[in-house]
Amino acid sequence: MDPEQVDEFVMGYLKKKGFNNAAKQLQEALHHNNGGTFNSTDYHNDPELTKLIRSFSQSENDPTRYRDGYSKLRSWAYNSLDLYKHELLRVMYPVFIHCYMDLVGKGHTREARAFFNSFRKDHEMIHLRDLQKLEGVLVPSHLEEMEFARSLRQSKVNIKICQYSYDLLLQYLHRTESTLMLGIINEHINFQVYSGQPNSSSDDIDAVTIVGSFQETADHINQKEIQWGLLEDSLEDRLEKTGSLLSDSEKGQGESKDGDVDDSKKRSNEIGKQGSSLKKLKKDKAGNATAKVARQETSIVSPAPRVKPELALPVMSTDVEESILEDLRNRVQLSSVAMPSVSFYTFVNTHNGLNCASISHDGSLVAGGFSDSSIKVWDMAKIGQAGSGALQGESDTNDQNVGPNGRRNYTLLLGHSGPVYSATFSPPGDFVLSSSADTTIRLWSTQLNANLVCYKGHNYPVWDVQFSPFGHYFASCSHDRTARIWSMDRVQPLRIMAGHLSDVDCVQWHPNCNYIATGSSDKTVRLWDVQTGECVRIFIGHRSMVLSLAMSPDGRYMASGDEDGTIMMWDLSTARCITPLMGHNSCVWSLSYSGEGSLLASGSADCTVKLWDVTSSTKLTKAEEKNGNSNRLRSLRTFPTKSTPVHALRFSRRNLLFAAGALSKPAS
Amino acid sequence: MSIVPKETIEVIAQSIGITNLSPEAALMLAPDVEYRVREIMQEAIKCMRHSKRTTLTASDVDGALNLRNLEPIYGFGSGGPIRFRKAIGHRDLFYTDDREVDFKDVIEAPLPKAPLDTEIVCHWLAIEGVQPAIPENAPLEVIRAPAENQIYQQKDGPLIDIRLPVKHVLSKELQLYFQKIAELTLSKSNPSLFKEALVSLASDSGLHPLVPYFTNFIADEVSRGLNDFLLLFNLMHVVRSLLQNPHIHIEPYLHQLMPSVVTCLVSRKLGNRFADNHWDLRDFTANLVALICKRFGNTYITLQSRLTKTLVNALLDPKKALTQHYGAIQGLAALGHNVVRLLVLSNLEPYLSLLEPELDAEKQKNQMKSYEAWRVYGAILRAAGLCIHDRLKIFPTLPSPSPSFPSKGKGKVISTEPNKRKLGVDSSENRSPHKRLIATDGSDGGPSPMQVDRPTGDANPPQNSVRPSSSEQASDGNAPESRNAKEKDDSKGRAITRKAILDQIWKDDLDSGRLLVKLHQLYGDRILPFIPSTEMSLFL
Repeated sequence: MDPEQVDEFVMGYLKKKGFNNAAKQLQEALHHNNGGTFNSTDYHNDPELTKLIRSFSQSENDPTRYRDGYSKLRSWAYNSLDLYKHELLRVMYPVFIHCYMDLVGKGHTREARAFFNSFRKDHEMIHLRDLQKLEGVLVPSHLEEMEFARSLRQSKVNIKICQYSYDLLLQYLHRTESTLMLGIINEHINFQVYSGQPNSSSDDIDAVTIVGSFQETADHINQKEIQWGLLEDSLEDRLEKTGSLLSDSEKGQGESKDGDVDDSKKRSNEIGKQGSSLKKLKKDKAGNATAKVARQETSIVSPAPRVKPELALPVMSTDVEESILEDLRNRVQLSSVAMPSVSFYTFVNTHNGLNCASISHDGSLVAGGFSDSSIKVWDMAKIGQAGSGALQGESDTNDQNVGPNGRRNYTLLLGHSGPVYSATFSPPGDFVLSSSADTTIRLWSTQLNANLVCYKGHNYPVWDVQFSPFGHYFASCSHDRTARIWSMDRVQPLRIMAGHLSDVDCVQWHPNCNYIATGSSDKTVRLWDVQTGECVRIFIGHRSMVLSLAMSPDGRYMASGDEDGTIMMWDLSTARCITPLMGHNSCVWSLSYSGEGSLLASGSADCTVKLWDVTSSTKLTKAEEKNGNSNRLRSLRTFPTKSTPVHALRFSRRNLLFAAGALSKPAS
Repeated sequence: MSIVPKETIEVIAQSIGITNLSPEAALMLAPDVEYRVREIMQEAIKCMRHSKRTTLTASDVDGALNLRNLEPIYGFGSGGPIRFRKAIGHRDLFYTDDREVDFKDVIEAPLPKAPLDTEIVCHWLAIEGVQPAIPENAPLEVIRAPAENQIYQQKDGPLIDIRLPVKHVLSKELQLYFQKIAELTLSKSNPSLFKEALVSLASDSGLHPLVPYFTNFIADEVSRGLNDFLLLFNLMHVVRSLLQNPHIHIEPYLHQLMPSVVTCLVSRKLGNRFADNHWDLRDFTANLVALICKRFGNTYITLQSRLTKTLVNALLDPKKALTQHYGAIQGLAALGHNVVRLLVLSNLEPYLSLLEPELDAEKQKNQMKSYEAWRVYGAILRAAGLCIHDRLKIFPTLPSPSPSFPSKGKGKVISTEPNKRKLGVDSSENRSPHKRLIATDGSDGGPSPMQVDRPTGDANPPQNSVRPSSSEQASDGNAPESRNAKEKDDSKGRAITRKAILDQIWKDDLDSGRLLVKLHQLYGDRILPFIPSTEMSLFL
């Protein structure tokens, strides 16, 4: 190498690095020596060093280096051994996005765009949505502004990789001296090297997903203990207990009565309720009638642990309690061979205005929230009568339902000043809560047909609101990235759950009322402790925004549906995905577990209701883990509707499935 | 770099009154504009998802702007489609057509119809896991046992017994549908609409509750409207559509349907005008009958035997009109070759002798009668011909006679197909002259009146020339026409080499051989077009 060239390189390097003094000195020295000989000693003979110097001195800003480096790495990865290929390809995506962001950050907008477009195809399949977000980033300031980009810049990606793949990668990087790629990989990827054979490619979903900075915190959080069991002394519990006690020991009736008394005493102590004698009487009756059913139930369902409620729960009136018990007694046992009946409520003439639908627990009330700020509540029991009357001829039997402006067979609730995004019925069906883009939540009474309370607290549109399984409390979630817990008697929230990195899109209560789950646009689902307001679980695995959530009745599992049509079953205690349920090809708007938790129903924008067998998926998991069986889909039935996207689903307590949706004209 | 070109920025700047925007500023703004647009779209998509939609609307964008505390863009919220117009002279430039509206016009315009109010309808999407075939549900691929009626029960568990004898309740929609179809069938004035009605009948699910009404309707109208040719034709089309509909379970109603259909096949008189082409109707109905037998023959074993019995009785009764005979023959022919062979061919001789006097133009003075007779003759010829054609095709393929022949033979087999079609449809005025033509000169020398005869004409001479030598029968006066010596030698040579094989075949298919002979006796040359030449050559 020409010594003068070397001097030039060194000069350039020093200047670029801002070592101006050093550069000056060097210059002076050079002047003194006049192209002298004293510094031409070493590196003439050291090709390694010269190369290194050359690479440094090449203007570091040169945008083509990213392209070259990346494309070389890419072709190397694609040509690597099949066994290790998928692991190596996994590295490509973080490298790709960081190359792009580096380019943008250095102001090479044009090159960044060209680089992005030439390689985006590689990653579109898995990361389409992220790419769409990143595509808009064109100016360094955008990197700062955009949360997603910022969190990517700040965090490291965890990639599990086997020892050999790791060695291969390092070897390649050293051999080719692609320092740039090496730098990016060192800076942004955190390898979790394990010994042994590489994993099969599809196995590890969370390895592919790039999350923000919380991968480690997520791992940390998921270590926390949660009590996923059902509430002690729940109605199902009591039904079961009275049933089994009676059947077990007809002789020891006194004993069982004692137990009951104890039971109700405890209960009355806890919640301050008197007059248990009435209840006891009723319970005995209940027990006799359903001994058989209850016994079946106990044999099927493995007993879930019982926990104490952390919230003071409202007292149920005896009437309500009785009707619930009655329903539970008459519940149809569902399984993969005994399918439920599905009753479908179709909204017609909605003019594309129906934003949400909700069905009361007994299926008799249906509420629709509309984009014109209105809420309409139909009483299906009344409509049924009026409808049959009208069919025979012109009749005016439905006069009592007619509102002030003519024949109308629903209750119109006006009060919101923005599109209504969600509505929910209290368990007995006497209240409706609605959330709207006007940032408020409103409480309505279905008996008075009037607005009772307006809850202001969120700062942005409230996407979802859900009553707790026992009423009184409710949870809401909003564009302001928080979820909040409220009680009906206070206009201020009781708890604010903050932590999601993007909109919180849906919320659901755990059956024991101690936890709520929230699904977010940051593609995660979180579980929060209601009492402390802390996040206790983070579920990572979805590839797009989470739209719907459902909790299994035994409190052990959770299902979440996303924008792409994927449904994931999670084990709450381990925070792991049991199995992804693929089948829908569009947004899953609604999920519902059957009463005893054996079936999961899902309703989607692809105009189908699907039933999934979830008992087998939970039972077979262990066996599957052993032999790595890939056959995890357990779709039982698909019920196509006539171009009606399914907005809401609910299993009644008797296990009749209700579904609702708005008839929409098919495209074209 | 940015997908927003800087020219766009400049145009926007101009449109809001900034005239001195430097190009650098525009260049800097462009990527930011793109970023903001993307940001707004991302929020708009969120709004769309929460409105439970999959198409983005202008209101979603407004919602997104609201989220960012921006003023919405006015003028696009009406929900109607926005019409973009192409700017003349530019390929990729569009604008919205925003016309000035006069207040007076708006005020004076009649109020638009109030939109229908939102309602909820309830139906069973599934009953114990099975989707009932009702119009509210999407059509199913396969029919499951259709629920007899839909009870619109609101609450509680599934229906315990849906097969209870209950009153047949028809929804208003179905009643209307039925009325409309009935009107269309009776009116005959709107053929295009009727066609669409037929398509709907053939494809709609959920029509099942109407089937008994339709069968009743058809039976009534057929018995009442025997004089109305068009009506009958329409009714038969309705039957056909009902049969085609995969969602309808028509089996239990077949017994009601069959009499009307058979009536349309073998009734003495269909339609009262001379112009009514009742032959077409009979042909159509014959195919219909065949379709029914094919579909339900397996489940109703007696169906076909009863049907053929009726038809044969109609055919063999000399007192019945020729039109009835025609219908019977067509019906039998449509049922397949075996039926024809068993029932028609066995009765062929006596029947033809019966027909003979009618055919003779001199004896039969009644023009109409003779026309009918020729028609029947044509039908029976076609039936027999198709039968023998089919029969002969069963023969094992033999080594082809000579290199020149196979191609010719193949051509023949194919060309006979269109022949049959044509023959069946052609009116006998066309046919009889050419029949005679063949009968009289039989050679290909004479110009054939129809282009269909060309291939058969070509085939005739060699066959004629060798037939006497191969079969024992005396030729019916068709003297072997020596075309040229070479060909004759050729065929003779072939006859000798084939002898051994022929003997074998003869034994195997003596039956068909005899049949052919008999047919030939009866029909003369007219049967020949039905016989593929390769097979024909076997008998040389």
